[in-house]
Amino acid sequence: MKVFNNIYSMLLLFVVVLFSCQESENPTINEKGEMIVKFDNYVGNQTMILDELGSTNYRYTTAKGQEFNITRFGYYISHVKLSGPNGEVFVDEMNATADASQIKGYYRVVQGEPDTYNIHLKDVPAGQYNKITFTLGVREDGIQEGAVGGILDRAAGGWFWNWNSGFIHYLFEGHSPSSPVVQGDITNRVRLHIGGWKNIPSENEDPQRFFDNNVEISLDFDATVRVSESLRPSPHIHMNLLKVIGDADFEMENNIHSPAAGKPFSQRLAGAFIVDHTHQ
Amino acid sequence: MISCYKTRVRLFGPVLLLIMMVINGCESVAEHPIVDAYKFEKPAHFPEPTYTFRNNQVNEKGFKLGRRLFNDPSLSRDGSISCSSCHVQSHAFADIMLHPFSFGVEDREGKRNAPPLFNLAFQKEFFWDGGVTHLDFAPILAFESEIEMDLSFEEVVARISRSADYPALFKDAFGIEEVTGPYVLHALSQFMLMMLSADSKYDRYVQGDHQALNSLELKGLELFRQHCESCHQEPLFTDLSYRNNGVQRNITDLGRETVTEVPQDRAKFKVPSLRNIEVTSPYMHNARFETLQQVLDHYTEGVAEQVSIDPKVFASGKPVISLNAEEKEQIIAFLKTLTDPGFLTNPIFFNSND
Ligand code: HEC
Ligand code: HEC
Repeated sequence: MKVFNNIYSMLLLFVVVLFSCQESENPTINEKGEMIVKFDNYVGNQTMILDELGSTNYRYTTAKGQEFNITRFGYYISHVKLSGPNGEVFVDEMNATADASQIKGYYRVVQGEPDTYNIHLKDVPAGQYNKITFTLGVREDGIQEGAVGGILDRAAGGWFWNWNSGFIHYLFEGHSPSSPVVQGDITNRVRLHIGGWKNIPSENEDPQRFFDNNVEISLDFDATVRVSESLRPSPHIHMNLLKVIGDADFEMENNIHSPAAGKPFSQRLAGAFIVDHTHQ
Repeated sequence: MISCYKTRVRLFGPVLLLIMMVINGCESVAEHPIVDAYKFEKPAHFPEPTYTFRNNQVNEKGFKLGRRLFNDPSLSRDGSISCSSCHVQSHAFADIMLHPFSFGVEDREGKRNAPPLFNLAFQKEFFWDGGVTHLDFAPILAFESEIEMDLSFEEVVARISRSADYPALFKDAFGIEEVTGPYVLHALSQFMLMMLSADSKYDRYVQGDHQALNSLELKGLELFRQHCESCHQEPLFTDLSYRNNGVQRNITDLGRETVTEVPQDRAKFKVPSLRNIEVTSPYMHNARFETLQQVLDHYTEGVAEQVSIDPKVFASGKPVISLNAEEKEQIIAFLKTLTDPGFLTNPIFFNSND
């Protein structure tokens, strides 16, 4: 019986091989190109500059008028998608795995590491594009696969929460004279660690548990661009930290480390990103 | 089409060979079943495992590497403590002492009892509050806890990479040139996943050996199903939910609330399995009780009104569970049938480097 089954599956294999052969070869459909998405971080209209831990050089001011500086900053980006006016769609391949060289679709923009400012999208089908969509953060599919490598490896500096498994999607650390927080000999500390990847919705008298602070961000380009083997367009995205801080008061909100506490900030994340301009 | 034709011709030979191999293969498997002591096999009466085996299949080399890591004190800050210091095989990988344990962010700190380790492939969340959502991540918290091994995971991996023999073992097990975090975690998971406890007298009974339990134990099983089953659900002896059974007199450890951030979860803890309970004293997350008698006395007399107390143990101003002395004895007799001597003495877990 087993043997017969195997013969059948071999026959099936032939059929599959035949069909797949017929479908291939269509040069226009197969033409692929690249796009480089560039991220520039701003604080209002000032460019972002990092200061040393402990610095009292306050370069920036919040909407509430509180001075601050930045010692560490960055965010994760994943699930990038492009779409175009004629139905073109590009979905960046995602893969979370232990082998760092096989990690696909996860990016981390880290202030002070210029290599990370450019997201290099490859194998984009040739065509026109005018919109980008991405997730700010790391979703369940990057966490529940278990131990993963590369920028998601805690031992290699991945921003992983050990006590409440998940990643810090958006990280800002610095100082503000308004913050009373003292840790060891470091004073006036401000730390916003925004993470959280699941929701257990409320039901009857039960409240919502956990908070998914992944944010899907969709941005229209200022112009339609063309991708082809010879054309590699580059949209420039600006991120404005002041939008994320919003009306937060550093006297109180200075030490955010959990999904619920991060919720008000994550709700402001989508408004912090814009496409400033696009290079064809 | 031409290239397709060629492909077909070229495929023919190998396919025939394959068919021959299949035929041969079928015969040899039937005659000599290969028993692999390092392969994960789901006990027949257990639910499907939740672990992501597709990313990390247990095998002998990975398992042995995990065993070595589990027993290695050089992976703690002062070189004095290994996983096996707190997770002792003869106690079902639980501990006999109460260890302080820091949890959560910043200064939230508490004292929690080391739970036993077994049947981890079937759990969805780990630690008493369930904050860890995948077995692979559990060691990170253990390594980095200030009161446990007090070493950043980054430093753990750096020490392993610098050591004289680990890199070759990792290469052998995972084919990697450079040791990185996820492979350290995969090796530890492989070791812990094999901690299967499914061969107690109780298991033999539910699998059809009616002689496995005596009449006292059977009476206990009946009472257990009546009073305890709703939380300590068979066959894992936990329904994997979080509940407050009233073991904190004054709530100092917020438990599940720490991770869900809702006050409705105050003082709730993961319902623990009761397998091997005979050897895992002290009991409860705060190690409040030393004997099973004390545990049962708690359920029948000790529970009191408290925020978030579970209505299955306290309702209408009194404890729900009511048992007389004889019934308690019967339940305890049954609980002892959950001891799995094969697991507690299985030599594959012994600390040896061969
Ligand atoms: C100092 C004692 C100590 C050491 C050392 C220790 N643990 Fe633990 N372990 C505990 C305690 C206590 C808990 C429960 C903590 C909690 O729930 O908050 C625990 C929980 C666990 C759990 C979760 C079990 C469950 O059912 O949820 C796993 C898995 C685990 N430890 C594995 C390890 C590994 C692997 C190591 C070595 C890298 C290790 N432990 C080292 C004390 C220890
Ligand atoms: C409402 C659900 C519930 C019911 C019903 C219940 N338990 Fe429990 N049990 C728990 C929870 C939750 C814990 C862990 C509590 C903690 O440590 O904070 C626990 C802990 C235990 C422990 C300690 C386990 C360990 O590893 O420390 C024992 C023993 C135990 N229960 C036995 C029983 C018995 C026997 C019954 C029936 C008479 C029973 N339980 C009924 C929820 C329940």
